[in-house]
Amino acid sequence: MIKLIQTTALASAMILSAGAALAEYPEKPIEVIVGYSAGGGTDVMARTTMPFIEKYLGNGASIVVKNMPGASGQIGVTKAATSAPDGYTLGTFNLPGMMARTIDRKADYSADSFTYLANVVNDPNVIVTSKSTGLDTLEKLLAKAKEEPGAVTVGMSSLGGDDHFALIKLQNQTKTEFTIVPFKGSAPARTAVMGGHVMMGIFNVSEVAKFEGELNILGVAQAERSEFAPDVPTFKEQGIDLINGSMRGVIAPKGLPKDVEEKLINAFKQAAKDPEFIKAMNATANPVEMVTGDDFKALTSELYDLAKGVWETTPWK
Amino acid sequence: MYADLLDALPHVLGIYNFVALVIGVIAGIVVGAMPGLSATMAISVLVPFTFGLEPLVALGLMAGIYNGAMYGGAIPAVLLRIPGTPAAVATTFDGYPMAQKGEGGFALQVAVVSSAIGGIASAFALMLLAPPLSKVTLLFGPSEVFWVAVFGLASIIFLLGGNPIKGLISACFGVFVSVVGADPISGADRYTFDQLELLDGVSIVILLVGLYALPPVIDLLEVPLKTDQVTDNKLGTEPIWRTLPRMFRFWKTWIRSSLFGIWIGILPGAGGSMAAFMSYNEARRASQTPDTWGNGEPEGVAASETANNADTASALIPALTLGIPGTAVAAVMLGGLLIHGLQPGPMLFRESPTIVFGFMWQFLFGAILLILLGGSLATNSFAKLLNLPRPLLGSVIIVLMLIGVYSINGRMFDVYLMLGFGAIGYVMDKLKFPLPPVVLGLILGSYAEENLRLALRIGRGDWTILFANTTSLVLVALTVAVIFGPSVKRRFFAKRDDEETAKK
Repeated sequence: MIKLIQTTALASAMILSAGAALAEYPEKPIEVIVGYSAGGGTDVMARTTMPFIEKYLGNGASIVVKNMPGASGQIGVTKAATSAPDGYTLGTFNLPGMMARTIDRKADYSADSFTYLANVVNDPNVIVTSKSTGLDTLEKLLAKAKEEPGAVTVGMSSLGGDDHFALIKLQNQTKTEFTIVPFKGSAPARTAVMGGHVMMGIFNVSEVAKFEGELNILGVAQAERSEFAPDVPTFKEQGIDLINGSMRGVIAPKGLPKDVEEKLINAFKQAAKDPEFIKAMNATANPVEMVTGDDFKALTSELYDLAKGVWETTPWK
Repeated sequence: MYADLLDALPHVLGIYNFVALVIGVIAGIVVGAMPGLSATMAISVLVPFTFGLEPLVALGLMAGIYNGAMYGGAIPAVLLRIPGTPAAVATTFDGYPMAQKGEGGFALQVAVVSSAIGGIASAFALMLLAPPLSKVTLLFGPSEVFWVAVFGLASIIFLLGGNPIKGLISACFGVFVSVVGADPISGADRYTFDQLELLDGVSIVILLVGLYALPPVIDLLEVPLKTDQVTDNKLGTEPIWRTLPRMFRFWKTWIRSSLFGIWIGILPGAGGSMAAFMSYNEARRASQTPDTWGNGEPEGVAASETANNADTASALIPALTLGIPGTAVAAVMLGGLLIHGLQPGPMLFRESPTIVFGFMWQFLFGAILLILLGGSLATNSFAKLLNLPRPLLGSVIIVLMLIGVYSINGRMFDVYLMLGFGAIGYVMDKLKFPLPPVVLGLILGSYAEENLRLALRIGRGDWTILFANTTSLVLVALTVAVIFGPSVKRRFFAKRDDEETAKK
C-alpha cells in the first residue's frame, strides 16, 4: 500500500514537473552564437543585452554567449540558421552585412532561414572629411565631387557593408561620383582620413563621436540627431534624404514554437523600456533602436532589396 | 605625452599583473634554457590561453617570457655550447670556453647582468621613442606603409645571413600563404576551396605554432641528446654581489651593445641573433686585447647577451606605433593584443593608454627581475633543467599546442592546418630553409598587397603616387641599400670579412 502511494506520488510529481517544463521555457541554458570574436561591436551588444533578456524571461533563465568568429560573421550565422529551432540556440544578426553576403557569395542560409526576434542596435552612418581638405560643409564636399567626378577619395571599412551602401545612396541622390578606398576595418580607414591620405570617410556615429575635434563631421544618416553627436545635423536637415546605418540584432532558426518566440520577443520589448539597459548600451557606444518580430523581418527584406539593387547596377566584386 | 606613462604605473604594480610578470620571467628562462624552444614558440603557444585573462596580465606574461628567454638561451650556450635560442649563438663563443675553465658561474652572472642591462635600455627606448612616434604615424598613409612592408621583407631576406635565395623562397611561401582568403578589397575568394574557415586567411598564430613549435618538438623527440650532466663543479659558487664589481669594466660594451640591439630591434626584419653577432664583432674590434676573444673573454658574453636582450622592447616600437611587427616575436605579441580587441597603431595610445604604457613598464620590470630571478642561486637550479627527460617535455608541449590552437576559434580545422604547417616547417628546417622569412612574408605580404592596392586606388591608378612624398622616397632608398648593401660591402671589405669568418 505504502509502496503504491509512493509510486503514485512519484509518477504524479513527474507528470507535474514535465508539464511545468513545457509551459515554462527556458528550462536549460540558452546559447547565443556571436559570429565575431569577443570584444567586437556585435559581441559587446550581445553581452550587454543578454543579462536583461535573462531578467525579463524570468524563470531563472540563463544565457551563454558563444563566439564563433570567421568569414565576416558568416560561420556563426550559418550555425545559428541550421540549429534546432527549440529556442535554445539563438544568433546575432548584422544588417545589411548578413543579407549582402547572400548576394555576393554562396551562402548556406537566406532571409527565410530565420525566426526574427529583435534588432537591437542601429548605428547610423556619418560622413566625415579630413581637416586638411578644407571641405567642412556638405555643400562644399558635394560641389567638389560634382566639379571633378571621382576626385574625392572615400575611406571606408569594406565593400558591401553599410558604409558602402550609404555612399551609393548619396551618389544616386546627388548625382555625384566618388572614388571608393575600402580599408580592412574602420580603425585604419579613420586613421587615413585623419592623416589626410583620403579626403572623406564614411563611418558609424559611435566610431567617430570621440574624434569630433580632429575630423569634420558633416552629417548623420538618421531621422533624428544622434545623442552621440548632438551638434551634428542630420542629412535630412541639409536637404538630402539619406538614412542608413549598421544594425545588430538577434535571430533564432526558422520554425521556432510560437509561444517561445512570443516569450523571447516580449523580453526584448521589455528590455527596450528599461532605463538601465539603455544606459548600459549607450556606455558601450551602441545606439539602441529596438525593432521586433515582423517589423524586423520587413526591415531585413527591405535591406536585402537595397543590396540586391546595388549589386545589380554596381557589383563590388 | 609622458603623463600617461606615469598613470599606468600603479596598474602594473597591481598584484595579478606583477605576479604574471614574475611567472613570465621564470617561464621564459626555462623555455630559453631548453635548446630548440624559443621565445616565439613559447609566446605563440601561450597566446590562445591568455584569452580569458585581463590584457595586462596576458601582456605581462608575454613581456616576461620574452625577456627571460633571451637570457635563458645563454645557460646551455655557456654550459654545453648548445645555444638555447638562436640569439644565443654568439654567447657560446666565449661562454663555453669560460665554463671549461671552471668559470661557468661567472659567465652566467655576466650573462644575466648584461641581459638585464640590455633589457632595461630597450625598455627605456620603447618608453621614450614610441609616444612621439605614435604622433607622426598619421604621416604614414597606404603608400608609405607599402614601402615599410617592402623594406621589412627585403631586410629579412638579405640581412638574415645565410643563403638569400633560400630566404627569398621562404619569404615567397609566406607571401603566398598571405594571399589565401578573401581578397582585401573586393572580398573575392582566393584559394579557399569553399572552406568558410579559410575566408579570413591563415591566422598568424596557427602558422607560428606549426612552424616554430612543431619542428623543434620533433627534434626533441627524435634525437635522444646525450648531454654531459650539468654538475655543480662547472658553475662558480660565488654570490652575484661579489662578482658584480668585476663586471664594471664592461660599461663601454654595455652601452655600445645596447645601442646596437635597440637599433636592430627597431628595423623590421632583423632580430636578436643579428643584434648579438653584430655587437659581438664590434666589441671585439674595439677591444684592446682581441686575442683573448673566443678563449673565454667575459666581455664577449656581455656583448652578445646585452644586444640580444636590447632588441626585445625596441622591436615593439614599429609594432605598437604603426601596427607593423618587425620580428616574429613582435608579430605574436600583436596577435596577443588583437585577441583582446586592442588594435595596434596610433589610436592604441589614445584609447588604451593604461595598457600600452603598462606593457612598456612590464618590459622594464621584466628586465630588472632578470637579475633577481636569474641571479646567483636560481641560475644553478635552472641549469639543472637541462637534465629533464626530453620525451616528457616534448609530449607536454604537443598537448599544449593542440589545445591552444583548438581554443582560438574552437574548431578542429585550425588544428589540422597547424599540423600541416608543422610538417612543412619540419621539411624546411631539414633542408635549411630559414623560417623567419615565412612568418614575415605572411604578415608583411598582406600589408604590402593591401596598401599597394589602396594607394593605387587613392591615386586612381597612377603609379607615381608611390613616390609622391619624402617619407616614401626615404623608405625606397633604405630598401635599395638593404638589397645591394651586403654585396657592395663584400666587394670592398672582402679581405677583412674573410679574416673574421676564419676566426669564427
